[in-house]
This record gives sequence, C-alpha cells and structure tokens, in this order.
Amino acid sequence: MEDNKVNRAKYKLALILGLGSVSLVLLFILSVSTGVMDISFQDAMESTWNIILRGADENDKYELVIYNLRMPRALSVIAVGVGLSVAGCVMQALIRNPLVDPYITGVSSGAALGATMATLAGISLFGSSDFSLPIMAFVGASLAFFVTMALAEAAGGRPISYVLGGTIIGIALSSGTTLLMYFNSDQLHGVLFWLFGSFAYMSWTSALIVLSVVMALTGVMLLYAKEFNVVLLGDEQAKQLGMNVRRFKTMMFLLVSALASVSVAFTGVIGFVGLIVPHLARMIVGGDHRLLLPASMMLGANVLLVADIVCKTAVEPSELPIGAIISVIGAPFFGYLMIKLGKEYVM
Amino acid sequence: MSCEDELVVRVDNLSFSYGAKRNLCPKTLKSININAHKGQLIGIMGPNGCGKTTFMRCINKVLKPQEGAVYIDGKDIDKLKMMEIAKICANIPADVPDDFHLSVEEFVALGRYPYITGIWWEGEKDERLVREAMAAYQVTHLRDRKLGELSSGEKARVLLAKGAVQQPKILLADEPSAHLDLKFKLQVMQALKDLSRQGVTVITASHDINLVTKYCDLVIVISAGQILSYGPPAEIINEEIIRQVYDVEVTIIREGGEVYVIPLRPVDPERSKDEGPRPCEKGIIAD
Repeated sequence: MEDNKVNRAKYKLALILGLGSVSLVLLFILSVSTGVMDISFQDAMESTWNIILRGADENDKYELVIYNLRMPRALSVIAVGVGLSVAGCVMQALIRNPLVDPYITGVSSGAALGATMATLAGISLFGSSDFSLPIMAFVGASLAFFVTMALAEAAGGRPISYVLGGTIIGIALSSGTTLLMYFNSDQLHGVLFWLFGSFAYMSWTSALIVLSVVMALTGVMLLYAKEFNVVLLGDEQAKQLGMNVRRFKTMMFLLVSALASVSVAFTGVIGFVGLIVPHLARMIVGGDHRLLLPASMMLGANVLLVADIVCKTAVEPSELPIGAIISVIGAPFFGYLMIKLGKEYVM
Repeated sequence: MSCEDELVVRVDNLSFSYGAKRNLCPKTLKSININAHKGQLIGIMGPNGCGKTTFMRCINKVLKPQEGAVYIDGKDIDKLKMMEIAKICANIPADVPDDFHLSVEEFVALGRYPYITGIWWEGEKDERLVREAMAAYQVTHLRDRKLGELSSGEKARVLLAKGAVQQPKILLADEPSAHLDLKFKLQVMQALKDLSRQGVTVITASHDINLVTKYCDLVIVISAGQILSYGPPAEIINEEIIRQVYDVEVTIIREGGEVYVIPLRPVDPERSKDEGPRPCEKGIIAD
C-alpha cells in the first residue's frame, strides 16, 4: 500500500500546505511587527489575534497601525506572491517553455505603460483617481499579453516564439514608457514609485480586490491541475489523449492574463518572482501540477513576504523598493537557470 | 497470423490535403484504402514526405480528411469525441517533455488521462495498470527519476509503458526507434510485436526496411500519398519496389521466409529522371 503513487502525492500535498501555512502565519506576524513603529513579535501576535477576534481597538496604538497599515500590506504581499507565482507556473506549462514568466510575456511592460499613462498623461477612468492607475495598468498588461500571444501564434506558436514575441513587445512598450517620462519629467516621482514596485500604500480596499481576484483565479486553475500535466506533452499529444487543447489553452490564457495583470496593477513591476518560484517549487516537489501549483502558491507568498520584510527593515527608517530588490537577487538566479536549461534550447 | 478476424481499422477512400481551403497544396494522401485486423503489426514504409505521418494522424482524428472515412473499432471517427478515440487508439510520441521535472511514474500515468473520472487523482485501477506497465517494460526502478535524466533506451521503454497503460485497441508508433542503437531498435520492435500478439493492432512507420520486414505482419508502401503495395513483407518487398520508392539500388536476400534488404547505391539521377514513382491508379484494397 505504501507503493501507492496517489497516497504519496496526497501526503506530499498535505506537507506542502501544512508547512507553507505555518510559515506564512509566522511571517505574517513578523511582517506586521516590522516597520517604522517598533512592535515586538509577541505584541504583534496579540494585537493581530485581537483584531481578528473583535476588530481593531481605536484607542490601541499598535492595533491601529497594524490594522490600518500593516495588515492590508501583508495581505497584498501574500496575494501578489501567489498571483505572480501561479501565473508564471501556468504560463510555463501553456507555452511549454520553462523560461517564461509575466515579465517576459509583456505583462509587466504593458502594465508599466498603462500606469505611466494614468499618472503622467492624467488619463483617469470611471472618474476615480484612486483606481485609475491600477485599472490602466491592468488594461495595459492584458493588452500587452494578448498582442504577445497573437504575435507568437502568428509566428508558428513554438515555445521560443513566445519569448521572442514578449521581448519585442516588452522593448516597444518600455520605449513608450520612457518617452512619456521624458516629456513629463517634472512629475516623475509618482510613477517611479510604482515602477520600482512597492506595497507601502496598499489600502484595505486594494488589498481585498487583489486578494479575492487572485484567490478566485488560482482556485479555477487548481481545478485543472491534471490538465496542465497533459499540456506539457504538446498540443498534438494532448489532443490524442482526448483533451480539447484549443479550448483549454484559450480559457487559461484569458485567466492567466487576468491573474498576472491584477498582480502587478496595484503594486507595480515585480519581476522574477513568477520565473524563479515555479522553478524552486519544481526542484522541491517535481513537475506534477497537482503538487506544483500548491507549492508555487505557498512558496510565492512566503518568498515575497520575506522580501518585503527585508525591504522594510534593511535601511530603517526608509524603505527599499521591493521590485528592484527582487530583481537584484533574481537576475543572477535567472542567469544560472539559463546556463542550466539553456543548453536544451536552441535560441 | 492474426488472432481473430475482427476488423479494427477501416480506412475508406481517404484523401487529405494540408492547404485544402485555399486550394494551394496538392493532396498529401490520395484515395487510401486500408483494412487492419485485430492483433496485426503493420509497418508503413515510404520516403520522407510521402504521407506516412499524415496518414497516422488521420487515423486518430488529429487531422480531419477532406474525403473518405476512417472507422476504428467499428465506429466512424467523425462521430467520436477525442476522449472516446483516446480510449481506443493510443500513440507513441517521438520524445518526452524533459524540461519540466516530470518523473517516470507521473509521465506513464498520463496515459490514464482519458480514463480518470475524478477531478484530480487517478483511481486504484489506474495506479495498478501504471505499476504493471512499468514492470512489464522494466522501468519500475526508474519510477522517481526525472524524464530529463533518462537515456534514449530508457525513454523508449517509458514511452511504450505510457502507450500500454492507455489500454488501446490500436497503437500508432511513428518512428519509435529512430534514435536508438541496434539493440534497442530490436527491443522496441519486439515490444510492439508482443503488444500485437496480445491483441492490439499496431501501426508503425519506419525508415528501417529490415526492421519492418523482420517484425511486421503486413507492410504498407506509400509513395507520393498513394499506396503502392500492401501485403506480407516476403511477398511485396523486392528490388523493383525499393528502387521505385526510395530511388536506391538494393540486393534482396531471402532466407527461411524472411527478407533482408542490402542497400547498394542511389539510383543514377540521369537515368531515372523520367521514371519517378508510379502509384497505382486507385490505390489498393487489401485485407
């Protein structure tokens, strides 16, 4: 009976979710305890517990800070960590190229151009300036992703086509962003802040939007975990195993585009998470998406939470931009992956 | 020769063309008629680009022919869903996806995909079949290895195991031994032969004429999208047909009912310019 593959997989899954959740809870409390105001781990734990039980006490300084500033921040870090990692994992499977992520498929540059247009060109939607930036970023990200996909499909839809397509679209959109910034150099600060990526000003509303969209989309993708395994075999093989590949891929591309876009819309460009986390997860649990997707979720949330804590504490009282920090660590790792995997790709 | 006389594949006047809509390309397959029975091992021969792979893709509805019909297990594939076809017809892909850390066991289990009734996990029966197939193809000890770490011979056995767990009535194998050394080529062909003796109708395309003649019950010779000849290898393989199809001069040795083809040299292009392949007028119907 111990030879049973499914039982072994279920045991691993329980381990991934168990360990991941425990460490997530600990990191969450560590996260709400760090910041400009010093709060000890113990106090943070107590205050968080109280807030969960009866809401924030308006006379308690700790609880106010934690509830108003740090909880929405930590929650959105978790949501974005999950969103980017799952999006990366799903894109890698759909495109059958382990070197793609939301960054490489044009999503991030599209979001950047959208955000820059919202801030610098003053384009606002639905009359609300609060949400015009994330909405524009979301629109830009989705459009960039679709143009990349269309370009790659037109070029034959081979795994490499998507990387080339994404690179071209990325360069074009980044140039657009640069031009906009060049002609509006007096108001750069707001947009630079977004481009660096930061969780500093996440409100409860924004956090809940990101969290609920990410959880809903991730949930749908988890339902199709075994289909992602089949997709790895290639379109023709998947078709021969009875899958409606075309319909599945179209649906998943739509969902993953929304997932990646919402993950960058509020908090800015955070690269490499979507690339590195699925790889780390694959090294730990292997390639079966029934384990890989949950592992990517857990790892993504944990990694980004650690990175955010580092950004908050490294140069107190000021903050480091998380997108830049992740990229500084991520670039050498990406180089390593390219060398390791690149030999199998004729670029 | 065949276990029973049950007709498993019937290809009826099949024609296929890749650019049919725009009327650009000539037909890749022209008026193909084939009957294949239960337990037969059938080899397809023909030069590169003659339509071997296209023909095999038409059998499991990956491609939709413009004319004619294909019946598998007595049913018109046009009326079957892909999932239903997957339970009748399996195929051996040319290679494994080795960049994604899938283990041998996870890969073999993918062959059970059409049968999984739950949302996520394989059932008890699926697991048992996967274990049995891994044992039968001697890959049990590789169970937890990643596909990328396997040798070509191991990959070939893993691919066969994945085909077997699909419990097909028809197995399609396009160039299953292309990258293998002699020993593994023989092992793969023997494995296909064994499967056919268990009642699976195996259709395999190969450039290795001697392997085809040695193992296959029947040989289909395709040239320029038409069937030139169909029958037992000892009857249809001769110097003339090889020269006609491959433009190569060969010597044929016949010994104990077996045929051995020894290639000599390409046909002199000056002399054979006008000859080219001469396909039959209407294709051959053969049982």
